[in-house]
Amino acid sequence: MTSAEVAIERRGGTIVAHLSGEVDMTNATRVREELLVSVPNDALALVVDLNGCRYLDSAAIEVLFDLARRLGRRRQELRLVLPQTSPLARVLTFTDVQSVAGMHETLDAALSE
Amino acid sequence: MQWRPAHRYRDEVATRARQQAVVADLGQRALSGLPLDELIDQSVAALMRELGADYVTVLELTGDRRGLLIRAAQGLPEGVIGGVLPASRDELPGYTLDSDRPLLIDDFGSETRVAPSPLQRDLDIVSAVAAPIGTPGGRFGVLGASSRRTHSFGADDAHFVQATANVIGAAAERARTDELVRDSEARFRELADTTPALMWMTDAEGHVTFVNEGWLRFTGRTLEEELGDTFALSAHPDDREGLLDAWRESFAERSEFRFEYRLLHRGGGYRWVLEVGAPRFARGEFVGYVGTSTDIHERKQMEDALRESEASFRHLADTAPVMIWTTDERGLITFVNAGWLRYTGTTLEEELGPSWSLGVHPEDAPAVISSWNEKLAAREPWELEYRLRGKGGDYRWIVDRGVPRYEGGRFAGYVGTAIDIHERKTMEARLREVYEREHTIAETLQRSLLPERLPRIEGLEIAARYLPAGRGAAVGGDWYDALERADGRVALVVGDVVGHGLRAAAIMGQLRNAFRAYGLEEVSPAEVMARVNRLVMTGEEEAMATVLYLVLDRETGEVTFASAGHPPPLVLSSDGARFLEGGRAVPVGAAEPGIFREATAVLPPGASLLLYTDGLVERRDTPLEQRLRELAEAAGRGEDGLEALCNKVLERVLGQQEPIDDVALLAVRPQPVSTGSMKLALPAEPESLSVLRRRLGRYLHAVEASDEVAYEVTLTVCEAAGNAIEHAYGPMDATFEVEISFENGTLLAVVRDRGSWRERRGTHRGRGLKIIEGLMDDVEVSTEPDGTVITMRRRLAA
Repeated sequence: MTSAEVAIERRGGTIVAHLSGEVDMTNATRVREELLVSVPNDALALVVDLNGCRYLDSAAIEVLFDLARRLGRRRQELRLVLPQTSPLARVLTFTDVQSVAGMHETLDAALSE
Repeated sequence: MQWRPAHRYRDEVATRARQQAVVADLGQRALSGLPLDELIDQSVAALMRELGADYVTVLELTGDRRGLLIRAAQGLPEGVIGGVLPASRDELPGYTLDSDRPLLIDDFGSETRVAPSPLQRDLDIVSAVAAPIGTPGGRFGVLGASSRRTHSFGADDAHFVQATANVIGAAAERARTDELVRDSEARFRELADTTPALMWMTDAEGHVTFVNEGWLRFTGRTLEEELGDTFALSAHPDDREGLLDAWRESFAERSEFRFEYRLLHRGGGYRWVLEVGAPRFARGEFVGYVGTSTDIHERKQMEDALRESEASFRHLADTAPVMIWTTDERGLITFVNAGWLRYTGTTLEEELGPSWSLGVHPEDAPAVISSWNEKLAAREPWELEYRLRGKGGDYRWIVDRGVPRYEGGRFAGYVGTAIDIHERKTMEARLREVYEREHTIAETLQRSLLPERLPRIEGLEIAARYLPAGRGAAVGGDWYDALERADGRVALVVGDVVGHGLRAAAIMGQLRNAFRAYGLEEVSPAEVMARVNRLVMTGEEEAMATVLYLVLDRETGEVTFASAGHPPPLVLSSDGARFLEGGRAVPVGAAEPGIFREATAVLPPGASLLLYTDGLVERRDTPLEQRLRELAEAAGRGEDGLEALCNKVLERVLGQQEPIDDVALLAVRPQPVSTGSMKLALPAEPESLSVLRRRLGRYLHAVEASDEVAYEVTLTVCEAAGNAIEHAYGPMDATFEVEISFENGTLLAVVRDRGSWRERRGTHRGRGLKIIEGLMDDVEVSTEPDGTVITMRRRLAA
């Protein structure tokens, strides 16, 4: 079974979502809903921390694009936390996720922007 | 290695499961006493349906064993049923009669062993399968299915036809046995009314359930007074304790019971009787004793009378209803009474001297003569049961007893009495015969329901043993099974139905099928147990079973198991032997709703897993904990091959003795992950992706791919698979296949599906294709008539 967990915390005007586990076409929709409802209108940005994430497929990457689009309409920003050493890094770069979301090595770096 | 598409495999499993269900259902009907003709008709209909045959026939061997009566059939022209075919050994039906296994004819045109029967020729039959019905010694006939097309039947179908034939054979045998039982009961009642002996029966608790008229006449008591916990109540107070001791001892051992004591006689006195009881069985289960008490008061009196005077002895002897004889000190007959002569139809002169043994049945004579000579030499009492020729020339069983007599302190010979026990002996023999037939039928049914061979499961070594309990014990309802789930995991089950005999064997068949069906569908062992439990609890028949159900992931060694009152599985590895504890609950069939638990453990690499039924570890005189310890010691670290391991365990744990209960043993060992190549077939549903990732993960780890490469290769293969899943044609056809190999530093991955490749439908799928093309060094998509093949290559860093 594919399982992912989303843990939400609020840091000032920024929502931090720690996404852990695996995301594929079986649970991508559920993950997207959980992320979307965690962002109130008054938040400035959503930081998705992918440190605990072991697997993302194209459906999961599509979720990231979709999130960026929806947040963008509300003038909210999407940032991602993923160290360059992560096995997932190359795929995210390759699919051009950085064109819609800022990529950061650490959570602190993402928060201090 | 043969490529086997998963959907086909699942079809086979489903077909086999359905065929097993049909056999179990027919077995159940046979047990519930369905008349043989109806059972045969239903079997024929079931075969037509399941095999898609053009014709199905049941041929019965005629009384002279030279013809085959068409007892039942479907598909045949009008008026053929009831006809007789010659039982020629050159033709398929006759040939099958002499065979001990089913016969499969793919094409009569190229067949060399046998010719079709004239009927089969007339019907233009091309392929056929036929199985013998009944035991080799007692063939009933032949069950056959045939078709006008070639290659209509496979090996599994042959097994199915044989299993159905076995059920018909068992039912035919059963019909004969039922007649025997009815016959025995009728004989018993007849005997009970006419015999001079007193007769009684007890139930399995030893309570008296029947005494005959003779008994009531003798004791002058009423039936109500005699029934219940009354054993030995009417015995003389001085004899009562000895009688009870002897009775309890025999009862505990289920052995023959024999005792002489004084029994209350109407009017207040006591008379000497000889009481003999035999254990009786029905449907393989002990149901109590049947016994006779014979009045031997005359014999006792005779011995006294002889001490007083020869004359009064002879007078008494000639009026006594028993057979009486005396010898001189050399053992030569000096007198036989009128009762003896009435029995043998001879004259006194013919009987006197050394010639008495001439009337003894030739088979019994050596034992009679040697035991008599031995006792005579030692001047000890002699007693023996043997067959003696009666006046009509028929031999009848008697019990003959002689005691030494003395005149003035000097040994003067023997005085003896003989009693006709033919009816009792015959009845005992019949009961034994009935019981043994039950045993054979139950064993046949059970063997039909056990997997003929375990499935070959890639990546898993597997061995199993089934030992029926020793002769004289009832067949139990033990079983084992192994099946491969669609997600690549393997379900293993070992169970033991409470009870013995035919009923237990039939319930075993049903439970086995239930575990197959639910085990394929449901992932969680506790849930599988709960479902089977619900099925059992809502069924008409009461049934209970202990079961160990376990799901094994061959790749990771992870096991999840649930135990319904069953002894724990044993893991053997270089660390030693260890029982898997946890996941325990009550037996299946004990409570509804049943609360079942499951537990998880991980097998170390190279470990073996041993599942067994309690016949292996249960012994009356030894605590279970100690037996489990002995099992663990016997199994060691599992360094042997599995076949050798099974042999070793059985040898060391059971020793030389025959098991008192049935033993089922199942041993499995996941084989190490191959780095050569890996193939798997999965249902085209999104849930398969996580399974695919695990299997790929193990493989890529084994070929030492880096984390990044492992992720990227897994992702691309899963993207290709995702495409197959999203575009699969229909749910029936929905599988995809993945093959991955590693050679010369390059990974080759092939994904096949039955749909057509879709280009860029939506940005998401487009992204999937972009990932595939971008992460692999080389990608080919080829569209073939029956589906799409994506071939991908990726060089691993040196």
